[in-house]
Amino acid sequence: MTTYKLHNSVITGELTSIIKNPNEAVQICIPFDPANTDYQKYLEWLEEGNEPLPADEPS
Amino acid sequence: MSILNVNQIQPVGSGQTVTISATNISTGSATVTAGTFTGNLTGNVTGNATGLSGSPTLSGITSVSTTNLTVNGSAYPSAGPLSNRNLIINGAMQVAQRGTSSTSTEFQTVDRFKTSTNGGTTTQSQETLSSGDPYDAGFRNFYRITNTTTGTDAAHYKIITHFIEAQNLANSGWNYSSAASNVTLSFWARASVGQDYTFYFRTDDGTGQAYSFNFTLAADTWTKVTHVVPGASAVVFNNDNGKGLQLTWAAWLGSDYIDSGHTNEAWAAIDTTSISNVSTTTWGTTTDATFDVTGVQLEVGSVATPFEHRSYGDELARCQRYHLQIGNEGRFSYQGGANNTNGFFSIAFPTKMRATPSFSYTGTITVNSYVASGTITNLQIDLIGPQVASLYSSGGISYSTSTNTLLYNTAAGNGQLLFSAEL
Repeated sequence: MTTYKLHNSVITGELTSIIKNPNEAVQICIPFDPANTDYQKYLEWLEEGNEPLPADEPS
Repeated sequence: MSILNVNQIQPVGSGQTVTISATNISTGSATVTAGTFTGNLTGNVTGNATGLSGSPTLSGITSVSTTNLTVNGSAYPSAGPLSNRNLIINGAMQVAQRGTSSTSTEFQTVDRFKTSTNGGTTTQSQETLSSGDPYDAGFRNFYRITNTTTGTDAAHYKIITHFIEAQNLANSGWNYSSAASNVTLSFWARASVGQDYTFYFRTDDGTGQAYSFNFTLAADTWTKVTHVVPGASAVVFNNDNGKGLQLTWAAWLGSDYIDSGHTNEAWAAIDTTSISNVSTTTWGTTTDATFDVTGVQLEVGSVATPFEHRSYGDELARCQRYHLQIGNEGRFSYQGGANNTNGFFSIAFPTKMRATPSFSYTGTITVNSYVASGTITNLQIDLIGPQVASLYSSGGISYSTSTNTLLYNTAAGNGQLLFSAEL
């Protein structure tokens, strides 16, 4: 089952990307770009009623 | 006006030449015939000149208007630019950044071409050409899908797809909304199973349109397929970086997509229940059947001109707008900074990518600095855009503050960074 996790920039603290399948060996980091096809699939996943995991708190 | 009616005009005495002095010579609907015409033919010439031989010099010609102009065996364009004619990237299947063989679907081997399936399994591969007609035409590679496990349910399919970016069509010179304006597709294809196959286009902007045609392949025989495609009022390509035109070679389509009444060679709104009228199932039901394609060219005009061969470097640069893979051909290193357990690595892309890319990595990525070295356990985007990325590692290594750090793989292909902005 596909899962997504939000990710904040370590440098700026802003939300910069989404990690697809964060618990698997092969992860894909997806930017918030409407022209990115991985991001488009993420939006479709959201429309199905799913919610991403929250970003880690800064350490 | 005086009219001289004669059957022949002959030179006087032993002469061989008749000289005609006139401001204009008109043959009406007749033809002037002689064994040879010598000297200069000047002035406005209308009508047909046939049988030119030797080395005549034609000067003063301001235009040549013909449906198909062939010079020394090469067809010339009927419309569009004289260079950079091919709208297809990697049509000769030269570039395969991701690898040369894969049992997975989607983009896995030859850049810009992907295999999509539903049911059964396939292998896709970049293959080498060593002989045959396309070899003689200058091609050294082709793209292959192999039907390793058949899947023949009604909803199953196995297809090859290529996408053209919308703005490349909007700016191509094709007046795509006019039925009088054409593009011409040409490609080499071969299959282990001789039968009819379907090729189809799809558009993405406006109300999506589809256009299909069938072509016949004899078993194990390379065939050059050429097809002229007109525009249509419903065809739309936005001037942006989204999907423009989808090109699809259907090796196998299940019955859900077959309609005996399907109309080929006409644009119509996309109907996934009516993609093709080819009901032949032989390729789809044959284990290890193969389908090969190379030399794909789509160009403005109604003539298939010779394939526009490009250098590997030129084609690679075009491919890297959609996918960039670093580490496939040797080590890489990037100087960055570090902060406790976080290492930062800045990467500038060799070409601006189509969109901000997704990032992933494979294999073993190693870091080395003055105070730390080892294998990275986590490498992610920190900040990224279409031209540059800042990656960071958050595990495996403990750095001191602001230490310059190298990021590399220990052997060619052992660890790779992947940036994807495919359509």
